[in-house]
Amino acid sequence: MAELGLKAALSVAQIAAVMAAVMLTVMILTLAERKVLGWMQDRMGPMEVGPYGILQPIADGLKLFFKEDIVPTGANKFLFSLAPILALVPALIGFAVIPFGPNETVEIFGIPFKPFVISDINIGILYILAFTSIGAYGIILGGWASNSKYSLLGGLRSAAQVISYELNVGLAIVGVLLLAGSLSLVKITEAQSGWFWNWFVIALPFPQIFAFVVYVISSVAETNRLPFDLPEAESELVAGFFTEYSGMRFAFFFIAEYANMILVSCIAAILFLGGWNAPAPFLQFHGSLANLAWLSGIFWFTVKVYFFLFLFFWLRATLPRLRYDQLMRFGWKVMLPIALGNIVVTAIAAYFFPR
Amino acid sequence: MTTFKAWLKTITFYEILIGMRATLMHLLHYKPITLQYPHEKRTLPGNYRGMLALLRYDDGVEKCVGCDLCEAACPSRVIRVVSSEVPGEPTKRYAKEYYMDMTRCLFCGLCVQACPVDALGMTREYEWAVYDKRQLQLNKPQLLAIGDRSFPVREKRLEMQHPNVAFFNVAYKNLPQKVS
Repeated sequence: MAELGLKAALSVAQIAAVMAAVMLTVMILTLAERKVLGWMQDRMGPMEVGPYGILQPIADGLKLFFKEDIVPTGANKFLFSLAPILALVPALIGFAVIPFGPNETVEIFGIPFKPFVISDINIGILYILAFTSIGAYGIILGGWASNSKYSLLGGLRSAAQVISYELNVGLAIVGVLLLAGSLSLVKITEAQSGWFWNWFVIALPFPQIFAFVVYVISSVAETNRLPFDLPEAESELVAGFFTEYSGMRFAFFFIAEYANMILVSCIAAILFLGGWNAPAPFLQFHGSLANLAWLSGIFWFTVKVYFFLFLFFWLRATLPRLRYDQLMRFGWKVMLPIALGNIVVTAIAAYFFPR
Repeated sequence: MTTFKAWLKTITFYEILIGMRATLMHLLHYKPITLQYPHEKRTLPGNYRGMLALLRYDDGVEKCVGCDLCEAACPSRVIRVVSSEVPGEPTKRYAKEYYMDMTRCLFCGLCVQACPVDALGMTREYEWAVYDKRQLQLNKPQLLAIGDRSFPVREKRLEMQHPNVAFFNVAYKNLPQKVS
């Protein structure tokens, strides 16, 4: 019994740590997005709160917390309140299977404990895909329950877009799964250890570069970021599915969007760029410092994730929004055949050149 | 060949990469073109046309003679002048009341050009946002106050500037001199 309690306490502590890290990253992202976007457009970004505006996320959070919570007339109150939670929870729950650092097991009071992954289940990537699909419900229900035409249109667009592009995400990672031979994210990362040419994006003789490109584009579309931000196109739909939301409910949608960004960046880093593995073995702590290897592991993982997050901002600063039919044609007629072809080629290659 | 090149450009995202290089260059060579407005302000050009003001001579007498030419020149009908005689001096007139509805003013400066005695001036004030629109209906004391704080150095009367020349008998060098 005491053992069970200790296990639960350890898990709760770990979950709290991961949640704190994710929330901190969301806070950094809200500021970094505005700053990076401003710099790319020869502006300064927020400069008022604190030196160089670095306390802006706190001010934003306080503002959202004290804002009036408005439920529009004619809205379905139950679904209206449920939708933000339905959007936020799947976005955060995906971090349960993300390995942030090396797969080490330490013994705490005789209990084996993996400090850098909350739960290494053997269908990790499937679990994440399943929960990101549930996240689409939050958007659709939020759009429908608001009793507003803009919200409804945003929700409908989101439904079509997320379904189309989740298919591409699912198919793009099949190549990686074929090579790794596992659905567990820890095993997939361990299969890419060593030099950077072992990463699945350039794993010779069957590089997954096409799958990588398909995955990055589809994940941008799936998180409703520019240039695929049709569900919340502010020039057409006010704010899309969260037009009618205010206060903390709006904040939930907002956090969910950024958490989703972090999640897809983590998956991209794990599946294609080798997760916590350094580009070269000598770039992580080794030899006499081998018991500090987790530090360099977390460092490399963070670097890769932040590279993808920067890519999100970079694309947003560069590209204009797609038209809706272009989005659909691109998803179904371009990305889907590439992803399918990649599966076929990878399967044949993996059959003739088993790793 | 050209179609092959176009195809190659498509699959390597050539155009998108060009655009992304442009944004990255702006990030690396970061030079903001915006100003942090309330903390730092633009240097205004020399001929900036800001808030209108009524001026005075250096002896404190207002310049306006109440001729109504500014009212006639104004395209937006901002100005309203009530002219009257200076008490005790039937040959001189002044503006008894002078109103400006600054909500309509488009800062064209025609009233300043129309004024024969340079009684109107355009200051360099532009921070005139107010909460109540009625605060922009200015009367004569307010306009004089704006002029006082924006033009601390006042002009002398014209006859005082050139004491040996009669006011309406200015000698023009391009005209032949009067032979007496």
